Amino acid sequence: MIKKLKYKILAGFGLLIGMLILAGTVSILEFARLSRSVTSLLENNYKTIKASKSMLEALEREDSGILLLILGQRKEGQNILRSSDSLFEAAFIIASDNVTEPHEDEYIGEVSHDYSSYKSEWEHLLVDVKTEASIAWYNDTIHKEFLEVKNAVNELMTLNQNGMYNMASQLKEKSHRALMPGIVSIIAAVVFSLLLNFFISRYFVSPIIQLVEALQNHNITSRSLKVSITSKDEIKMLENEINGLIRRISG
Amino acid sequence: MRREYVIKYLGYVLLFNAIFLFISCLISVSAGESSALPLFFSGMICMIFGFFPMIFVEPIPELSFNEGISISVIGWLINCIVGMLPYIMWGGEFTLANAWFESVSGFTTTGSSILNDVESLPRGLLFWRSSTHWIGGIGVIMFVLLILPTSQNARFQLLYTEMSDLSKTNFGFRAKRTIYVIAIVYIGLTVMETLLLTIAGMDFFDAVNHSFATVATGGFSTRNLSIASYNNLMIEVIIIVFMILSGIHFGLLFNTLAGEKQNLFTSKVVRAYLLFLFTGTVLVTFKLYFDGYFPFGESLRAAAFQVVSLGTTTGFATKDTAHWPAFTQLILIYFMIQCAMAGSTSGGLKFDRMFIFFKSIRKQFVLIRHPNALITLKVNNQTLSEQMEGKVMDFILLYILTFFITTLLLTLLNVDLFTAFSASVATIGNVGPGFGQVGSMGNFAGLPDAGKFILTINMLMGRLEILSIIAFLMIGRNR
Repeated sequence: MIKKLKYKILAGFGLLIGMLILAGTVSILEFARLSRSVTSLLENNYKTIKASKSMLEALEREDSGILLLILGQRKEGQNILRSSDSLFEAAFIIASDNVTEPHEDEYIGEVSHDYSSYKSEWEHLLVDVKTEASIAWYNDTIHKEFLEVKNAVNELMTLNQNGMYNMASQLKEKSHRALMPGIVSIIAAVVFSLLLNFFISRYFVSPIIQLVEALQNHNITSRSLKVSITSKDEIKMLENEINGLIRRISG
Repeated sequence: MRREYVIKYLGYVLLFNAIFLFISCLISVSAGESSALPLFFSGMICMIFGFFPMIFVEPIPELSFNEGISISVIGWLINCIVGMLPYIMWGGEFTLANAWFESVSGFTTTGSSILNDVESLPRGLLFWRSSTHWIGGIGVIMFVLLILPTSQNARFQLLYTEMSDLSKTNFGFRAKRTIYVIAIVYIGLTVMETLLLTIAGMDFFDAVNHSFATVATGGFSTRNLSIASYNNLMIEVIIIVFMILSGIHFGLLFNTLAGEKQNLFTSKVVRAYLLFLFTGTVLVTFKLYFDGYFPFGESLRAAAFQVVSLGTTTGFATKDTAHWPAFTQLILIYFMIQCAMAGSTSGGLKFDRMFIFFKSIRKQFVLIRHPNALITLKVNNQTLSEQMEGKVMDFILLYILTFFITTLLLTLLNVDLFTAFSASVATIGNVGPGFGQVGSMGNFAGLPDAGKFILTINMLMGRLEILSIIAFLMIGRNR
């Protein structure tokens, strides 16, 4: 038990301040986590989903380019194939640099493998001007390879969409955890303040009132001061000093 | 009543909780779990509120009965409030009603749960959940008395307001020795069971949690399927033995080890208690076997586990008793009402009262034939006063009335009759699972929130014994 009044009051308020600082720190930490989760949600999964969409777009355009080649529009077909290939490669680099989900690297590897195989089937058409592309070749080889790459890209996109959904669900939990320390500490601070008020009233105000009443009683009856102060702080010292003073005055 | 003294003791209660919250927090930190911060924050709140009264309140010389009963009853409420903090801060399945239910169920060693997926909880939170059982098992006030240097008078007041009426008459020790006897038996049983479960093949973390739940006769498991998930006969046998030991008067266990005259083998109440458990097991075994539920060996295994589990108010499960024949369910309900012995960690009615009740009925039969006969009731060769006999009868009546009212209130909330009745019996007896919707493999999540609050009042009534709560509520009127 602390014996000096000022230290008692200081300790009481110190604990209250400590509790509020603690609640603030915990809330800040939880909000920082929440913020990191939002950032990762936007930067990680969304980036790959966007890249996957670009890859799918590039694949569709490549498919159109090949069909134009088959139809005899060689120059236009070659231009579309070149630009689509660049688009796919650029999107693929973004996706492969942004591996965030478990086993995502395996999915990226599959896309890379399937695309290489697909590209090897039509790549020669960009430089070879003599070979005529046919519908039968398209049906037997190109379309099958095209679907495989598309499927691999779709799987990569689904993986990231699921990751994004899970992260969004966790965000709800995290926001709850960031909010709760604040709510708990508000309730705790109210209870703490009531307790502090009780102790101040019980150990500071009440003894002073008792002393005043005893002094008033002394003025009427001239009896010695009798107050039941149980603490050992300055108020007890005050009681002793007043008693000493009364004894000296009464001779 | 000197409220500052009550507050100071409640501070000790909070400090004791803080120790377990910090241990749980360390487990969470070591596993990198999301429950670390909620546990740490809850621990710090307990620390701050626990230390605060020490700044002002001088050493406590003695306590009055009213102060003792206030510390005991408010202490339990504070425990339950503090216990729900980590749950509610962590979130998941814990809404306000669910967190309160789980906390009260933990501290009162009831073991009823609202969790659909226990295994999804972080390990730190699982440990805290089991710790609430262990703290509540013999009561946090008892731990406080064990650790703190307290005056003889204060120790006496707190011990005797915390303990059941019947436990006091059976202990032959002084207040200080009683506390040490309980603590030694309690800690000893926990350590022994942990070691044996680990040897039997249970993971150490699970072994500690299940030991906490067994010795406190609680019933929280770390697995969704409770003990059934291990499917290990050795583990089941160990748990059966420790459930029985935890359901027996701790003073008698201690006396047996210390070679005292009044021990397990000389106590007629223990003999009768074990006979009841044995008879129940035999009846359930034969019913299950002859109805073709299981082969004989499996019937015996399942019956022994379930009868002992419910008869000691633990509440672990190896089978889904909700699908068993009505005859076996009624036998199990009898054991849920009877509960375990006074002086153990179990709550509820207590077998000793049933023992006195049966003896009193026999006395009435004799009095019908010989109206002028002077008959005294004896328990373990000690004469039972008329006052104590009357108190036991009053308690049994109040007990029945309480779970009748609870059943009524639950049916008012449209809970089906069997679920409402078994949930009321299971919660006031601090048993855990009931039947119907709240069966041994089900949970209390589906009940309405108001129903959950009603059942938590039941749990506290069962744990604190109804008369203690009435005495606490009467303090103002006495004045």
